[in-house]
Amino acid sequence: MPVLEVNHLHKTFGAVTAVEDISFSVEAGEIFTIIGPNGAGKTTTLEMIEGLQMPDRGSVAFGSLDWKRNADQIKMTIGVQPQSGALFDLLTVEENLDLFASFYPKATPTATVLEMINMTDQRNKHVKKLSGGQRQRLAIGLAMINDPTVIFLDEPTTGLDPQARRNIWDIILKLKGLGKTTILTTHYMEEAEKLSDRVCIVDQGKIVSLDTPAALIDRLTKEREVRLSLMDGEKAAEVTEQMALLHPAVVRANREGPTLKIWTTQPEETLYDLFGFTKDRGFRVEQISIREMSLEDVFIAFTGKEWRD
Amino acid sequence: MNGAKQFNKMFVAQLKMMFREKQVWFWNIFFPIILMVLFMIIFAGGGDDDFKATIAVSEPVQTAASEQLLGQLRQVPVLELKNEEPISKEQGLEWVKNEDVDALIILPESENASSLQLIVNMKNERSATTQVVSGVLDKFIQQANLAAAGAQPVFGMTVSSVTSGEDDLKYEDFLLTGMIGLSIAQGGLFGMVDLVDMRRRGLLKRLRMTPARMGLYGLSSMLVRLMLGIVQIVVLSLIGVYGFGASLHINIFSLAIAFFGGALVFNAMGYLFSSFSKTIEAYMGMANIASMLMMFLSGVFFPLESLPVWLQPVTQALPLTYFVDGMRDGLIYAESVTNGAFWLGMGIMALWGVASFLVGAQVYKTKSISEEAR
Repeated sequence: MPVLEVNHLHKTFGAVTAVEDISFSVEAGEIFTIIGPNGAGKTTTLEMIEGLQMPDRGSVAFGSLDWKRNADQIKMTIGVQPQSGALFDLLTVEENLDLFASFYPKATPTATVLEMINMTDQRNKHVKKLSGGQRQRLAIGLAMINDPTVIFLDEPTTGLDPQARRNIWDIILKLKGLGKTTILTTHYMEEAEKLSDRVCIVDQGKIVSLDTPAALIDRLTKEREVRLSLMDGEKAAEVTEQMALLHPAVVRANREGPTLKIWTTQPEETLYDLFGFTKDRGFRVEQISIREMSLEDVFIAFTGKEWRD
Repeated sequence: MNGAKQFNKMFVAQLKMMFREKQVWFWNIFFPIILMVLFMIIFAGGGDDDFKATIAVSEPVQTAASEQLLGQLRQVPVLELKNEEPISKEQGLEWVKNEDVDALIILPESENASSLQLIVNMKNERSATTQVVSGVLDKFIQQANLAAAGAQPVFGMTVSSVTSGEDDLKYEDFLLTGMIGLSIAQGGLFGMVDLVDMRRRGLLKRLRMTPARMGLYGLSSMLVRLMLGIVQIVVLSLIGVYGFGASLHINIFSLAIAFFGGALVFNAMGYLFSSFSKTIEAYMGMANIASMLMMFLSGVFFPLESLPVWLQPVTQALPLTYFVDGMRDGLIYAESVTNGAFWLGMGIMALWGVASFLVGAQVYKTKSISEEAR
């Protein structure tokens, strides 16, 4: 049974439709990532799920609980790390955790949370003096103080350096190890690809695609880009290009100096045949590469928009 | 149950936050102290007893009358003669020019002349010292005239003031209580900036995502502010009483009512400002305008009667007027709570509080929540 079910959410602000018919469900233990360009409706969708905004139409259900009848119960089963961090700067790390713990009838011991977010050594530090990565870790710590079943992480790694980002990934994977369900938004494709069980791409208030990262990439056209650099100058490259275009799997090709770019539906076979040709002619190949398709390509393919980190 | 634990933690957390915020200490404790001390020194400090003017006396012609006048001038306690023996007019003028003395008195220039001259530096022509010296000299001459005519004065005058309190009211008492009222009012007007800051940083929204009871949070916050108000009363009173000789006659009931009432009203006004303010700067602007206007129009530093008549209706409308009055009733007049004027004042003040709160709450309600974190 899904832990979260979102059905046909609609939300308009004046003349602007922010969310138009968004539906999905999240299974227990999943890391479910929502990505989309700015203004796609991610935040509005999340806020409706978190009970901060009322949808115009549609429903949100956590198992058998809904916001109208079970608001307090839902608040006890979810944990939220908002984008802004939202910490008490003049309190220490531990005092923040303590204060939030007092809001719930049952809370995880602060020592456990501190260990989980790797901040035991900083527990007496004032939040004001924490680094960006430490602040985010504390915000995640606050989100798990009530031992929730569903955790919402809204861009937890935005603006962090690669090391700090990796530390957050570790925490997210630890949460998954504990069987928690995580709903994540991010600006980093690499992150979505690495962490997510499923990715939901949202654009202009609608879901444009929802699947596992691998399936999404797979769904893109089978055309792959193969690059080949020859050591014997432009002439050799030109002859090879003409040869390649005769290959049945090659869709198109272009050339920049001694470097060839070939788009093919069967990269392995094409390369095999091309190597046969270059060997016969005695051309020496300097570099070859097959470009991996990433979630970024998926994003561009589905939304028609460039991805901006 | 859970509510008590929550309230406890919230209260302690807010107490710590207040304690750790240097701005709170500066604006709520040190700033009022500095302001009060300055006003005390400028307008009250020193007191009349300590007034002294240094003068020089020139005696162009030595006569019996001039000797007598000189002898009597030496007796005037507030005048200090720079020279034991009279000096020449030129020497005296030099001293006045260099401001070595506050004034030069030239005794009658001939046996038959009866006019005394008072010469002061033009820079100080209108100074308080000049006024006092000329006043003293004037009085002195009157006395001398009467003595010369062998007459006894028919009318005399003594100055005194009456209050409803047990003792006479000094400016020190007036200023001290005004400053206490102003500090508490400013604590409320400026204090609600926390709310703007919490909204701006998404903390209000964050708390609403938890089962935390916002009512308890507000209550604990109010309690912390009241504690700060009590600290203000105690610290300012100690400095006023022991540093400047102010005297207090406290009626604890009227003091408590004025204090709690006033703290609530000015916090409600701060709450109203916060409902309109997207940024801290906007809030501080509004709080500053309100505070500045009321500071000078509510009888904090000087009695309202010293303001022009056409301004009186304005002062009669301001809540700080009634708050400061109420605090004075409780702190120096020992006015009991049975006094009708006290309740009328509290009532007008409360109207401001209720209206501010209702409008503020309405603005908060109609504002979209999604705006909050932005």
